[in-house]
Amino acid sequence: MNSDLNCIWRVIYIMLPGIILISCNPQKQKAIPVKHIIEIKEMRFQPAELSVHAGDTVEWINRDFVDHDVTEENKKEWSSTPLAAGKSWHRVITKSAGYYCSIHQVMKGKLLVE
Amino acid sequence: MRTVKIHYALIVSACSLCAFSSSAQKAPTLTDPEIASVAVTANQVDISYAEIAQKKSKDVSVIEFAQTMAKDHKGVIDQAVALVTKLGVTPKDNDVSKQLNADAEKTKENLNAKTGKDFDKAYIDNEVAYHKAVISTVEDVLIPQSQNAELKGLLQQVLPVLKTHLDHAIMVQGKIK
Repeated sequence: MNSDLNCIWRVIYIMLPGIILISCNPQKQKAIPVKHIIEIKEMRFQPAELSVHAGDTVEWINRDFVDHDVTEENKKEWSSTPLAAGKSWHRVITKSAGYYCSIHQVMKGKLLVE
Repeated sequence: MRTVKIHYALIVSACSLCAFSSSAQKAPTLTDPEIASVAVTANQVDISYAEIAQKKSKDVSVIEFAQTMAKDHKGVIDQAVALVTKLGVTPKDNDVSKQLNADAEKTKENLNAKTGKDFDKAYIDNEVAYHKAVISTVEDVLIPQSQNAELKGLLQQVLPVLKTHLDHAIMVQGKIK
């Protein structure tokens, strides 16, 4: 009986530091996905550069009266449809990307996954 | 010599606006109905250039730019028409809008006479010059002289659109050279 109890205590003693380490290490915890807003206003993405965590959602809202879109810049891996005034589009972000408005090609933005 | 003449003609419409905006002494005094007329005319003129480009150009960057010009400037006209309707204002022809239309006819004639890469270059060079001139006119003449706050607000809203068009035109100009 005593030897059983001793055995259990020994197991707990050995595992405890590991359990504490895992539960306290923030890098091992998955961040809860959050939603970020980027306004398209006065012909600019605002903010033009945004840091997010993988899995976060980014929503772009067109506040201008002309249409805009949101298109991945490097290989055009993703793109919204044209967004009329007041319309929005969202996407779950998994990796860093540069993007632009393919209608007004000088309008550019950047998403940085931390 | 012919090239010089054509290039001169292509920037005539832009220069007519430059003349109106280059100095406070030369700047005409415009009423709100006249400002509305200039704003609508300036947008119509650029739509007419874009329509020619969409028919004549084979260059994707030029065609895409022209499509954006046609759509955005129509959007500005729609905003202006909605505002003057709401305000009960009738746009009134004036020396500036008449000159814009007259110069646009010469520019269109010259654009229509060109083909291929010559056309693309002439169209984009004119877009750069025209947008520079329109921006100056909006900043130095139309906004300061607007009496109605909503008209002034609309012109202020249009300014970043015009500046983005200018940057876009300069970008395309760099690609086709």
